[in-house]
Amino acid sequence: MNGTPEENLIRRAYWFIRIRWIAAAGLVAITYVASRAFHIPIRAPALYVIAVVLAAYNLLFLIHLRRATSGTEPVRAPAINRTAAVQISLDLLALGALVHFSGGVENPFLIYFIFHMIIAGILLTRRAAFLQAAFAVSIFTSVALLEYSGVLPHHCLRGYVGQTLHDQPLYVTGVLVVLASTVFAAVYMATWVSSALREREAALAATNRLLVEQDLIKSEYVFRVTHDIKGHLAAIRTCLDPVIEGVTGPVPPEQLNLVNRARRRSDTLLAFVKALLELTRMRMCREVAMDAFQVESAIESAVNYVEARAVANSIVIDREIDATAGWITGARVYIEETFANILANSVKYSEDDSRITVRVVDEGETVLVEIADRGIGIPADEVPKIFDEFFRARNARAIERDGTGLGLSMAKQVVERHGGEIWIESGEGRGTTVSVRLPRNPPRGLSAGPALDFQRGEAYHDGSAGRRGVAQPG
Amino acid sequence: MSDSPKILIVDDDPDIVEAMRVVLESKKYSVSVAGSGEEGFAMAQSEKPNLIILDVMMETGSKGFEVSRRLNADENLKKVPILMVTAIKEKTGIGFSRESGDDAWLPVDEYVEKPLKPDELITKVEALLKKNPA
Repeated sequence: MNGTPEENLIRRAYWFIRIRWIAAAGLVAITYVASRAFHIPIRAPALYVIAVVLAAYNLLFLIHLRRATSGTEPVRAPAINRTAAVQISLDLLALGALVHFSGGVENPFLIYFIFHMIIAGILLTRRAAFLQAAFAVSIFTSVALLEYSGVLPHHCLRGYVGQTLHDQPLYVTGVLVVLASTVFAAVYMATWVSSALREREAALAATNRLLVEQDLIKSEYVFRVTHDIKGHLAAIRTCLDPVIEGVTGPVPPEQLNLVNRARRRSDTLLAFVKALLELTRMRMCREVAMDAFQVESAIESAVNYVEARAVANSIVIDREIDATAGWITGARVYIEETFANILANSVKYSEDDSRITVRVVDEGETVLVEIADRGIGIPADEVPKIFDEFFRARNARAIERDGTGLGLSMAKQVVERHGGEIWIESGEGRGTTVSVRLPRNPPRGLSAGPALDFQRGEAYHDGSAGRRGVAQPG
Repeated sequence: MSDSPKILIVDDDPDIVEAMRVVLESKKYSVSVAGSGEEGFAMAQSEKPNLIILDVMMETGSKGFEVSRRLNADENLKKVPILMVTAIKEKTGIGFSRESGDDAWLPVDEYVEKPLKPDELITKVEALLKKNPA
């Protein structure tokens, strides 16, 4: 069984309704064949009426179920169960009437009462299922006894049985005892199996809840620790800066050299901690607010972010943006940071005087953004690992020792939380193209909560966005 | 301006306070210091500074926000510019550009993330003091 208990419940409710369509159609077909082909004197008109009644209330229940499950309000399990109980009771009454108009105890379809018992055992609680069994027994017993005593007329299945059986006490008793015991046995077995299944379902749901909770606790823990570390780092930086910048008086070169090294290391750590905070925060956010924005303006914001460094290195950023690029819906801040991350990598790992091209392609339901540079590229054997957390390519490390190794993994996380894709084409010395495909309207539900990533146990091994967490070559 | 402008630093991190004090005093500002939001509010009332540098997380995670609102509600202090410094910019949306005009919820003039470089600090302080000359 997959899905939540509620989803399973709804699926079963629809299944039950589908079965009743088959039953109504089957009733019409069998009545037709029995009366026309075999000339058995059943009360065909009455049976057709029963089939119509069956179909009619099935339609009503279908409409009711659709209405109950289409709304935004959560489906209430007890309400669905109550409806199922009413349906089963109505079915039993219909079956009782059907049996009466087609031979009573002579009718072999009497055995069909068992189907309802199995359905009751699956859909209802144990108690409710046994109540339905008692109801079924009382219905067919009443039909048999009333026909036996002559209160109800008997419609003999002449041509199917040789003689009337409804007036033979031993036969009637035998049928009733066997049927009643079968009905109760069926309910007993069905509830036994389905309650075992339901327990497992509940246990799975509970385990899942626990995992989500634990994940949140872990994230909160990482968040708090990271936050504390950041406080200390900020203080270190705030104290080092005035010294380095000579506010406290001239610093001899030897001392300045060492203090500068300390500042650089604290900068690296600070960038790392900020990236970690960002992605932990996104992980803790069950829902990311989304709104509509223009793709082009998001690209421009991202370009703005890297412009200064690009200009300093005489790197030109070309834009080839489809006029119809238009709007997309998403967490704007994170999307912008994603593009900024990718662009920052391109700038960082491009040679001076080179070009970076940003292409935006309107693909209808999706938008493709390609960021291509002519930089150092990524060694072929390292391309598959490039989205891994904390991974940095060896040529990237050679160029810049310090980096978080979180930039692209966060980009990936952001894109995937929007239901999009991200991929990289690269080769050492051949430049790198990062492609991001985003749906214009992310599917509902994707925005809510991160999918638990069981392969990576750690809470912070999850990406989101971190504008400063740019580290990997791209 | 006869006297040098008075700046009140309200922050519970003594190291950050000390570093900021050194930087500001090097520019001849007169600096006073409060180590908590409550102390800061009291000192703002008694000293009438020309500018307040206010930390966000102190006694509580949002003490600075509370203090800024109280300062804004005080007739004598509502004109004093506030430079709010925070260890962490909360939630998405503030991260990328803070200039997008939702100051309504926070009566501060600048909202910056720590650490602040000495020249950044001086630039911001000078700009804010121009808004409200002593």
